[in-house]
Amino acid sequence: MGQDQRDGGARGAVFSPVDNRARVDTVVRRLGDAIELGLLADGEQLPGETELAGRLGVSTVTLREALMALRQQGLVITRRGRGGGSFVALPDVPAEDRLRSRLRGWSTEELRDLGDHWAALSGAAARLAAQRTEPEDLHQLRRTADALGQAADVPARSRLYGRFHVELAAAAQSARLTREQVALQGEVGALLCLVLADPAYREEVADRQRALLRSVQDGAHETAGPLAERCVRESTARLVAVRLTL
Amino acid sequence: MGVSPGLAAPGTDTALWVAERVGGVLETVFEAVAATRADTAAVLSRVTEEGRRPAGADLAALRPALHRRLADGELVSGAGFVAAPGLLADVPAWLEWWQRGADGGIRPLLPDLDPGRSAYSDYTHWDWFALPRDTGRRAVAGPYVDYLCSDEYSLTLSEPVHVRGEFAGVAAADVYLRHFEAAVLPLLRHLARPAHLVNARGRVAASADPAHLAGSLTRGPDFGELLLGGARTGAHGELRLVPCRGVPLVLVLA
Repeated sequence: MGQDQRDGGARGAVFSPVDNRARVDTVVRRLGDAIELGLLADGEQLPGETELAGRLGVSTVTLREALMALRQQGLVITRRGRGGGSFVALPDVPAEDRLRSRLRGWSTEELRDLGDHWAALSGAAARLAAQRTEPEDLHQLRRTADALGQAADVPARSRLYGRFHVELAAAAQSARLTREQVALQGEVGALLCLVLADPAYREEVADRQRALLRSVQDGAHETAGPLAERCVRESTARLVAVRLTL
Repeated sequence: MGVSPGLAAPGTDTALWVAERVGGVLETVFEAVAATRADTAAVLSRVTEEGRRPAGADLAALRPALHRRLADGELVSGAGFVAAPGLLADVPAWLEWWQRGADGGIRPLLPDLDPGRSAYSDYTHWDWFALPRDTGRRAVAGPYVDYLCSDEYSLTLSEPVHVRGEFAGVAAADVYLRHFEAAVLPLLRHLARPAHLVNARGRVAASADPAHLAGSLTRGPDFGELLLGGARTGAHGELRLVPCRGVPLVLVLA
């Protein structure tokens, strides 16, 4: 299948228009995270510059600057001439070092703000889900929390962590909250590998998610919201702590 | 949407008439699903008779009719066939799925089904796949947020496809909830009492009652049992309940 045509789910969010003053940074983060998460595969050709700029909603000048930065990070190579274009390239540096270098591109204030946005989305989703779900609706969320508890591979953990929050927004019966959450996971997903690599914390997250699901199932919206917010704040705080060591 | 002979006209029992018409709205979508099921079964049977296993490319034969159904059917925004994992020789899983975009353009959906890269690669747990597979009958899934295919709040109508008695996958069509509401709200407004439609689990699919909005749950009555029972009407306290025969929706009058 055509790589540029895979528009479903998390991958679709990769090429959706960005809305940020720091557009170059946003494009670098979006594409860099997609590469780290494996949404864009090693060796995969990116769409042409004009098409990619159009889909991201940025000018070609902005896109070229972003591609330049990605080349400097070793995540993209550009070949000229016939059969040329920009290709995803995973360098031989360990993934964790690359992620740390990506995290350096975020200020602690930006991470704090990202956490606030995320907590607002997931807290609201948890409250609504508690009012609007039946036990049958929660099977998939429970499977996701269990899979996270068992995932050995770190990128898989971060994908499952993201999926849990997307499914929670869907359980709230809100298409808007779900779209926002998919976009947010596109931004934060890869960085979470840095905190989910710790098996003890991965366990803690899975336990928190199960506690949250119990409260959603009991229809306890006044406790479900704060539980979801706490889960998100804890992850963001850990990310900020890693950022401060860099 | 035809009205069957002998059916009560508005005025005699408006609620029964409305419930029948709502069923008729979804029946037109089920006709499209049944046509896709028949096309798919024919393609898969032909390939089997040739003595080989079907491949993804064989399903391309479904495209002209799918495009026509998307272009013609006002309610249908997505349509196709979703293969059971293991059906096709060349890929582990496949959606031959087409969607009509906001601009009217018809495009394929090609989600990433590689479990090593996508957290959403397994589609077999979704109601629109599991219900027809497990019951052998057609089903209405939703309303639900379809973050796999369209990012829309939707109903998905599906039917199992069998080839030589074996489950091969599901034929399905997506109806966005806003389009369903536009189709049924004029009917609900015929009623003197505030009315809404719920699925078998009590989730509101469309409503002319501000106290029961789409996506919320109407608690109390066992709507699943009412739908299985075959009664023409039911009651729960002050609520009057009218199953929409042929489809798993119940008209609730407050």
